[in-house]
Amino acid sequence: MGKYLLRRILQMIPVVLGATLLVYALVFALPGDPVKAMFGDKPVNEAVAAQIRAEYNLDKPFIIQYLLFLKNALTLDFGNTFAGQPVIDEIARAFPVTIRLGIMAFCFEAIFGIIFGIISGLNKGKWYDTVILLISLLLISVPTFVTGFAGQYFLGVEWSIIPVTAGSDPGFFDLLFPAMVLGSVSMAYIIRLARSEISSNIAEDYVRTARAKGMSNGSVMVRHVLRNSLIPVVTYLGQDLGALMGGAMISEQIFNIHGVGFLTYQSILKGEGNLVVSIVTLLLLIFVICNLLVDLLYAALDPRIRYA
Amino acid sequence: METNNVNEKLLAMQKAQGPLLEVKDLKVDFTTDDKRAVHAVRDSSFSVYPGQWVAIVGESGSGKSTSAMAVLGLLPGTGKVVGGSIKLDGQEISGLKPKEFDKLRGTKMGLVPQDPMSNLNPVYRIGTQVKEALKANGMDVAHEKRSALAKALAGDEVAVKTNDDETFIGSAELPALLDAAKDALAKIGVTGDRADEFMKAFKDEWVPGSETRWRVADDLIKAGVKDDDAWVIAKKYVTGSTLNDRIAGLLSEAGLPDAATRARQYPHEFSGGMRQRALIAIGLACRPELLIADEPTSALDVTVQKKILDHLHYLTDSLGTAVLFITHDLGLAAERAQHIVVMYKGQVVESGPSLEVLQHPQHPYTKRLVAAAPSLASQRIISAHQRGENADALLEHHIVGEDKLEKSENIITVEHLTKEFKLPRKKEMFKAVDDVSFSVKRGSTLAIVGESGSGKSTVANMVLKLLEPTAGTVTYEGKDISGFKGKELLDFRRHVQPVFQNPYGSLDPMYSIYRSIEEPLRIHKIGDTKSRQKRVRELLDMVEMPESVMTRYPNELSGGQRQRIAIARAMALNPDVIVCDEAVSALDVLVQDQVLHLLNDLQAEQGLSYLFITHDLAVVRQIADEVVVMQHGKLVEHATTDEVFAHPKMQYTKDLLDAIPGGKLQLGLD
Amino acid sequence: MTDTTNTFPAAETLPGQERYVAPIEETPLQDVDKVDESAPATSMWADAWRTLRKNPLFIVSGLLIIFIVFVALFPGVFTKIDPNYCNLDNSLGDPEAGHPFGYDFQGCDVFARTVYGTRTSLSVGILSTLIVVLVGTLIGAVAGFFGGWVDALLSRIIDIFYSIPFLLGAIVVLQMFRTSSSIWKVVLVLALFGWVSTARIARGSVMEAKNLEFNTASTALGSTPMRNLFSHIIPNAMAPIIVIGTTSLGSYIVSEATLSFLGIGLPTTTVSWGGDISQAQTNLMTNPMVLFYPSVALAITVLSFIMMGDAVKDALDPKSRTA
Repeated sequence: MGKYLLRRILQMIPVVLGATLLVYALVFALPGDPVKAMFGDKPVNEAVAAQIRAEYNLDKPFIIQYLLFLKNALTLDFGNTFAGQPVIDEIARAFPVTIRLGIMAFCFEAIFGIIFGIISGLNKGKWYDTVILLISLLLISVPTFVTGFAGQYFLGVEWSIIPVTAGSDPGFFDLLFPAMVLGSVSMAYIIRLARSEISSNIAEDYVRTARAKGMSNGSVMVRHVLRNSLIPVVTYLGQDLGALMGGAMISEQIFNIHGVGFLTYQSILKGEGNLVVSIVTLLLLIFVICNLLVDLLYAALDPRIRYA
Repeated sequence: METNNVNEKLLAMQKAQGPLLEVKDLKVDFTTDDKRAVHAVRDSSFSVYPGQWVAIVGESGSGKSTSAMAVLGLLPGTGKVVGGSIKLDGQEISGLKPKEFDKLRGTKMGLVPQDPMSNLNPVYRIGTQVKEALKANGMDVAHEKRSALAKALAGDEVAVKTNDDETFIGSAELPALLDAAKDALAKIGVTGDRADEFMKAFKDEWVPGSETRWRVADDLIKAGVKDDDAWVIAKKYVTGSTLNDRIAGLLSEAGLPDAATRARQYPHEFSGGMRQRALIAIGLACRPELLIADEPTSALDVTVQKKILDHLHYLTDSLGTAVLFITHDLGLAAERAQHIVVMYKGQVVESGPSLEVLQHPQHPYTKRLVAAAPSLASQRIISAHQRGENADALLEHHIVGEDKLEKSENIITVEHLTKEFKLPRKKEMFKAVDDVSFSVKRGSTLAIVGESGSGKSTVANMVLKLLEPTAGTVTYEGKDISGFKGKELLDFRRHVQPVFQNPYGSLDPMYSIYRSIEEPLRIHKIGDTKSRQKRVRELLDMVEMPESVMTRYPNELSGGQRQRIAIARAMALNPDVIVCDEAVSALDVLVQDQVLHLLNDLQAEQGLSYLFITHDLAVVRQIADEVVVMQHGKLVEHATTDEVFAHPKMQYTKDLLDAIPGGKLQLGLD
Repeated sequence: MTDTTNTFPAAETLPGQERYVAPIEETPLQDVDKVDESAPATSMWADAWRTLRKNPLFIVSGLLIIFIVFVALFPGVFTKIDPNYCNLDNSLGDPEAGHPFGYDFQGCDVFARTVYGTRTSLSVGILSTLIVVLVGTLIGAVAGFFGGWVDALLSRIIDIFYSIPFLLGAIVVLQMFRTSSSIWKVVLVLALFGWVSTARIARGSVMEAKNLEFNTASTALGSTPMRNLFSHIIPNAMAPIIVIGTTSLGSYIVSEATLSFLGIGLPTTTVSWGGDISQAQTNLMTNPMVLFYPSVALAITVLSFIMMGDAVKDALDPKSRTA
């Protein structure tokens, strides 16, 4: 297990380096002047532009730029925003909110996704299986911002069940519905995944062998069908944890939650490329670390992986 | 004489107890997607007595497994018992609720399934999976009745005094028990080598969690220890085992060495044979009265199959377990079971005492089966051409290619062939093939026999130039094939054609049969569309397939039919040599027989030379002129087929011959 | 161990185990391995088509997709109104004759904009899917087919792209084109971050198809590796790629709408559902219906493609085929 962990970490390093390089290159090295982009529709002030170029090392060769960025990033020094605030402070303010939102969404999709997936998988063909399946299809097809608006309008405005917006320091109930919106698509995928895994695992030979041992239907289902079906579901969930942080943008935008997504969106509007790259780099790290954790969890759940 | 007594006693007991399993007019239906009923089993009846082995023999789709699963209440998918009765110990079980079935499975009926690879859950340790069986049934090990039967089978008398005497040895007490036994031996004056001998036997026999108190006492008494002393020791030191002991005990009963360690491993760390042993341990864990063994060894090598079945037989005899043995191999069934039930298309066509059914098959299907069973055949297949002629022609078989004799006698020669593979995360190379030499004579068949891992398929792939040898040469018509490139290689490919094992895999599912057979013509740019069509028709005719299959796709054909298509494809270019890599192994007996005859007829008509790779010595006897036996990459024995069968020189060859199921049955065939 | 081979008890048989031979007329013998000539011939595709035809999911989604494509091709059939003709006098006006969905904030006809938005969404979806399937299949196939260092290199590149969440990646790139966006830029960005999942699947299925025995068989018949790749491996590896292609067409449409919603997708001059939804959100409290219509159109379109993907997946599932 230790060896496996080490190997996975070693494999992770080039991926992280490559991915940050890619993101950095996309923002700062693509045709199109990022500094110009910062000015948006306004005319370019050459003096300011030169100053910005110097500040972000944009006047140096690309690879040096990247290495400097990497070096600063390691010390969590992402430079300053246009307003002069350290980028890291902005991020530090926004992150806790998004993490709270992300974890709530994660719990929501995990609990309901697995429960409905199991109900559906064990009762294939029954009317409530069809209903669950249709709802999950709908959730996948309807973009989250539509679900979000619909909920906001009906539950918030019309019926006043949920707060319409969350504000800058949101509590549990403020975040509840946004988290559900954020987790809804993944929940639908989990339902479908769990359902198909369960129905294919039920037909496995070892399930029949377990029955032949005299085990009751309940314990066969729990110990053999569900246990084995859970492996891909857990893998999906883990990968999704990182993706949720990135996807939080829509929910945060709709419900005015001042988290990372909101911050990213605002910096996009203001043209703060540096802030965007910094946030994305951090999210990317979270995503990669989540993937690593998933791999370890996967190895813990499936002994075949450990020795592979 | 003693054997007879035992048998008589057994028979009397079985008669008194009545049948353990009685299946009468069983009907099982499956429902298709469009709601049609498919009758998988129709009006089938058979019965199993306590302690008896009964075999159900049939081809795939005959309903043999379905019948067994109906007994267990584990019919897959839409399967349903729609008629007849299944009585277990006199109790009707066919209409039981799932919960009531749960109580019967494990304790009353156990299962040893077919495929060892898929029947163990990959995420649990082996021991855990044994434990589940014990736990599910409350671990109550009711021994008495079976012990009595077991003793009837073993033919000895031991007084089992109380139920306590069924207590197992515990691993914690074992060292003390062994010491006590040594002291007891010393007390009666047994010392030195003789004592060591006894002690070694004790150590082997007294497996914690498996051997019982009365067995220990019995062993001591047999060694000369006084009755009372023996019982005192047994009572003092055999006081029960832990659950882990019991698990290890069960696994070691099933023939798994070093069971306590093995119990902590996962299925993927086990070989196929070891997994099958674990499955046997699970099936027998709760001492069922009836064990259903569904092709328990079909996926294994013959020598492993023999070992495992021997052991299973020994185990069920000593436990007094009845076995319903499902198999496709008539020879194996006759060798292992007292009573045979032959099934065909969902019906029982014939049943009766094994030898009688085998010696005097009455139903035409059984006759056909007996005639086709390779393990029962004793000579080479005679080609259709020769069948019609007199005995003189028969003798000339080996010199079919006489007119070609001015060329060299050997069409393929393999010299010092060696192939090494690099294993992942290991420094030393693995020698898959180690210095193998032989040659294939023109117009004859050379068979390479070996078990999995013997390197036989690697040799085939090197002869086909699909793999490059590490050392050594393959020559075709006197030319070293290693240098073949471009046109020369294409020319070689044209003359040396393969037929592979897996008829499901070797035809592209996206290609129609016509395209599949036409492919070699297309690759070698032979003929135009019209002449190719004509040729494909000829080839289909040659392998006795109707022209109408041209527009079909492989998934619509049976395994045997696909294999015939593969043969037609190999014949398309008029090759000289065909390399058959396990070409008939996946086929049902009758189909296999048909394909073997086809291969043989083609050889006689076209003067083909065959390199025939197989694990099945029985098939070798039917088709080969010469045999090469391989083991662990090395050539073990090389001789003519008759020589190998009559006077095998090496022990390994003898083991292989021994393992041919039913090989030793003496049949006076009608 | 005792002698375990059959000892054959005395000839006496037990009740119920007497010799039995079924009457031959009740158990007629059939030819060994007879070809059933009555069944219709079916290729894998024909087989899949037969399964599809009976699947209500396929019928419903198929009809919807035909309708959607028709709307995209001939929007003029449904409305004569120019979607870009806006009159602030009509701002947020209620539905009236000839304007069944009413007006948006700018005073444009919502029905016309919803109809014309179809073309945009569909073009983005189809173009992105085409590029993704082509590029992803090619890279995945090359990695899976050649293996070795080629595979190692490509797999690392795939890993790197895979580690960037799709939406984030798209945002990073598109935020630079905020003022100069176009359909093509959106398509290329979606493809840039979308090809990895197809490549992964293509790599896996090519590797699987490569190891099938019919390739060895073809090689032994004289076929070259390249010929194998194109005539056997890729055709056999296509099924999962088609499935993911169909499904992802839907998700690219969602992504485009999401990006437009965030204001970094299509230029505001392009009529698109995402853009309209984004515009409508400011007046959500007072005029929710303006947001409703494009949202429903978007949802139905995406739903159709995802349902189609599901149906195709069921039909091409190798497990459902008779082996």
